[in-house]
Amino acid sequence: MRLTGEKYPCGAFVVLGTGVLTSRTIDIGVLFSRSGPYADLGDQGYRGAIAGIEAVNRRGLPFRLSPVVADPEGNTDRYAALAHRLVSGGSVQHIVGCTTSWSRKEVIPAIEKTEALLWYPCVYEGFEASENVVYVGACANQHIVPILDFALPLFGRRAFLVGSNYIWGWETCRIARDVLAHSGGEVLGERHVPLGDTDIAHIVEEIRRKKPDFILNSLIGPSSYRFLEAYHALGRRDPDFATGRRPVLSCNLSENEIARIAPVAEGHLTVATYFEADEGPANAAFLESLDAEDRRIGVSAFFAQAYASVLMIAAGLDATDGGRAMDVLSAVKARDVATPLGALRVDAGNNHIHAEAHIARATADGRFEIVRESAGRIAPDPFLTRTNLAVPGMEPPAQPRPSLRIVK
Amino acid sequence: MSDSFSTPSFEGTSALILHRAHSNTEALARQFARIGVSAVTVWPEVEGHSFDGYDFLLFDADMGYDEQFPWAAGEAPIPTIALIGSEAPGRVTWAVSHGADAQLLKPIGSSGVYAALVIATHAFRRRKALESRVGELAARLANRENLAEATALLMVRHGVSAGAAYARLRRQAMEERRSIDDIALSILNETGTVKGSHGL
Repeated sequence: MRLTGEKYPCGAFVVLGTGVLTSRTIDIGVLFSRSGPYADLGDQGYRGAIAGIEAVNRRGLPFRLSPVVADPEGNTDRYAALAHRLVSGGSVQHIVGCTTSWSRKEVIPAIEKTEALLWYPCVYEGFEASENVVYVGACANQHIVPILDFALPLFGRRAFLVGSNYIWGWETCRIARDVLAHSGGEVLGERHVPLGDTDIAHIVEEIRRKKPDFILNSLIGPSSYRFLEAYHALGRRDPDFATGRRPVLSCNLSENEIARIAPVAEGHLTVATYFEADEGPANAAFLESLDAEDRRIGVSAFFAQAYASVLMIAAGLDATDGGRAMDVLSAVKARDVATPLGALRVDAGNNHIHAEAHIARATADGRFEIVRESAGRIAPDPFLTRTNLAVPGMEPPAQPRPSLRIVK
Repeated sequence: MSDSFSTPSFEGTSALILHRAHSNTEALARQFARIGVSAVTVWPEVEGHSFDGYDFLLFDADMGYDEQFPWAAGEAPIPTIALIGSEAPGRVTWAVSHGADAQLLKPIGSSGVYAALVIATHAFRRRKALESRVGELAARLANRENLAEATALLMVRHGVSAGAAYARLRRQAMEERRSIDDIALSILNETGTVKGSHGL
């Protein structure tokens, strides 16, 4: 049973009790937006964190976890104040939260000041490594690079890029350009639309004229749904644009979203650290343990990464006998933790996870089927300093240097 | 300069940190390690160490002084990043006089180094490109009189227009892969009529 408490008398906080206290209770901040422009993804993070806490509490460990929930409602300016309220009392040393990079940047000063940890359970563009953030999602060398490695040999090198007009869309498209430039590829067009904008018919028209081999879709939420709907309609009118022929690729479209918009996402390819469709026995047991409501909505990587974050916190607390946040982090850097994403390890140098990158195809009835299992865990390279950006086998021949000198 | 979409990588490069050992230099070292840069901390003098072989220099704007550098103010041969604690104008101006290509504010946390390296690399390239362009223009300016003289000489020698004489110079330059200024100078040298000074 979930009870509301009075621990934080401000309206934004609700303390969810989890039953009779039989042992030491450790508060876990849960900071997601369940309304606003990316509510679906925030809700996945929230549900994953709560499910993770419930799973830990069923284990009979010498401590119990208690969620302290705060909801910024999609307003970036509320994250800093809420994070500060969570950690300043001293009882919360771990926050599982944030979906967008902007909100994460808002939370970092508060947690760095108090030596707390933010467990950030989302795919993101990289180029950050705070000492006080654990990045429990894929960074660029674990998402855009592997999906392009997969797609270029199959579909071709001529791409069309479309994204929401903020850092995720900009940076994913920029890295895609970099990979294509290193692989003899070509960008036929790049369009960004404001977050939440659904006026995108002109983009599909441009794609129809330019006939790219594939489309990279970094749109978020309703923009993405409308785009997929319009592209699906184009594919029905003209088989040359069937998604099996010129597919749409994404690093962020997830289970709960394709279930909602089926059948228009059919053939869409997504790369992620986790898919509900994974057929292994560990995933079957994980899914079996979840609430019916969570299953009905769909269990995405955003859910599984938040859940895995809580499992890692619990493993670190267990190993350090309820130690301080930074000791918990040191403990999980020293061991693999079994999670729905497989055995997870936090990189000692940059606080990102060693993650798998699976690729799945959306079906007409709104599920994913995995088409390429990850070959293993990919070491995180958040600054893309060690990643070969050329798609294997597609490196362009070295350009001979021009031998004529221009006289001025 | 690289295209705006390419991802800068500093893997395998090295940085010299001219700053006393401190939690700030430890934070710098952690950030450098993450992006594949090997960093060495030295203070206060570089003696025993050389600036050669380093790709970046980070220097302390708070306690730094001119004699730490073997070059004149503003002529650092590698990209430089000022580590600024005190914002007192005297110290900031001193850092600027040493041509800081970028800066980091102390205390150093867990971010900022990557962006500073990107900015310093671009600023340094721009600084070097400008220097070399200015040098080139100054040389051409100094040689302008020689060019006019050589053109006139060819006009008289071959009975052609100014345009045709200049075209001859240009053709010869292309054939010999030398600059027009060089060709003009060698024509004048043959006849012993060099006027302006050549080069810098």
